[in-house]
Amino acid sequence: MFQFCADLYRYRELIWALALKELRVRYKRSVLGFLWALLNPLLMMIILTLVFGTLMRFSIDHYAIFLLSMLLPWTFFSQSLAYGVESVVGNAQLLKKVRVATLVFPVAAVLANVINFLLSLLPLALLIVLLRFPLHWTWVYLPVPMLGLFLFTLGTCFLFATVNVFFRDVSHIVQIILSAWFYVSPIIYSLDFIPQKYRFFFRLNPMLYVLNGFRLSIYYGLLPSVQSVAMSLACGMGALVIGFGLFRRYQDSFVYYV
Amino acid sequence: MNGIALQFVDVVQRFRVIHERPDTLREVFSGLHRGAKRTTYHDFEAVKHVSFQIPHGATVGIIGRNGSGKSTILKIIAGVYKPSSGQVHVFGSIAPLIELGAGFHHELTGRENILINGLLLGLSKRQIRDLEQQIIDFAEIGEFIDAPVKQYSSGMYMRVAFAVATAVDPDILLVDEILAVGDAGFRAKCSERIASFHERGKTIVLVSHDSSQIREFCDRVLLLHNGELITDATPDEALARYDELIGHSQPQTVPAIPGR
Repeated sequence: MFQFCADLYRYRELIWALALKELRVRYKRSVLGFLWALLNPLLMMIILTLVFGTLMRFSIDHYAIFLLSMLLPWTFFSQSLAYGVESVVGNAQLLKKVRVATLVFPVAAVLANVINFLLSLLPLALLIVLLRFPLHWTWVYLPVPMLGLFLFTLGTCFLFATVNVFFRDVSHIVQIILSAWFYVSPIIYSLDFIPQKYRFFFRLNPMLYVLNGFRLSIYYGLLPSVQSVAMSLACGMGALVIGFGLFRRYQDSFVYYV
Repeated sequence: MNGIALQFVDVVQRFRVIHERPDTLREVFSGLHRGAKRTTYHDFEAVKHVSFQIPHGATVGIIGRNGSGKSTILKIIAGVYKPSSGQVHVFGSIAPLIELGAGFHHELTGRENILINGLLLGLSKRQIRDLEQQIIDFAEIGEFIDAPVKQYSSGMYMRVAFAVATAVDPDILLVDEILAVGDAGFRAKCSERIASFHERGKTIVLVSHDSSQIREFCDRVLLLHNGELITDATPDEALARYDELIGHSQPQTVPAIPGR
């Protein structure tokens, strides 16, 4: 883990440049360019608000905010994974020609999405103000669940990117895994909706703890318990240790398989 | 800058050549299931027990036929491959680049690509900013520098790539047949730049098929054949041996015609 931090620091400029490149390429040749990073989530949120505010009414007050508070971090996770899983294989040409620390690619893929995610919080705040929903002071606490989320995402990306080098199917399966994962995580619903006897199984899902802090601070205006914070960070660190451990173990042979 | 720049001790690079590799999980599982279509492979030694030393300031050429292991040796020096056995010692900084323009993204502008390529080669952002104008001038690219590289002609593309790769100014320069870049004028500039590296006491390892280039630059030549180092001599000797080798080995691949 120390090695990981040292490498991050050593290659920070390269990682940053690669992440910006990723975003630049994503928004290149569009008239609105970078604005899409703000517009896209805003439009999506407006649609969700309209659908759940007028068409389908749930017993949850301000369901749109309830949903978005977890949907945005989830979207970050799923997009990072979609990019991250290809991050090693997609740079095969580079890996074969240049000696480069392979870890920069998954990290840059996640970082590009971190930037996107942070930008998407602006339209969320805007929407909250427009809907006259309280903008809780607990927003200042968001960096803590974010840390858990980013670590968890990074770890998962390392894991999937590594396996994808040896089994290309992973890039196909990942979408299926993500959609299943989405429904077993309490994003569109709350854990309270689940009958007591099944809740135990839902509690096995690390995503529950990783996302929990977002809904608490954005929707409920509450600070999570110390225990909940610890769980979220533990899930993040655990994923990173496993994912990066596997990645490190096999990274020297990537060049022969990509 | 005396002493050794590069040392290979009994280096072997083995590749596993896999036939019918089960690239998908299904193939792995069905293979387990039936036990029938198992993966077969053979180990292929691209570099066989190669040892040599290159002193600082030397310009060494590597020649050999296609598939003789030249590029593999460059990749081992650059650190892209870890050799299967043996030891490699590199003393001094190295431009870990084997192919020009590797890592260029066609949607990005020349300037953006210079930044990313420079960072990949181990420069810092500040160093790249300082070198940028020099790179642009050397590449003779003018205002195209702010156009996406997909609009470049292949000559422009290679010129920018060469300019970045050599602007890094490593102690040891690895050159893999990249001098055939651009028109005669630019080629002369490339040669000049290589020569200036040599004058400043840098070590150069040059892979080439062009014997005049080898004679022009190198003071020593390694001749590889099927992954083995068979000659380590002056350019004239090594090239003579190489000609001999080509002359001898070609008829072997053609079946002898009876009655001749």
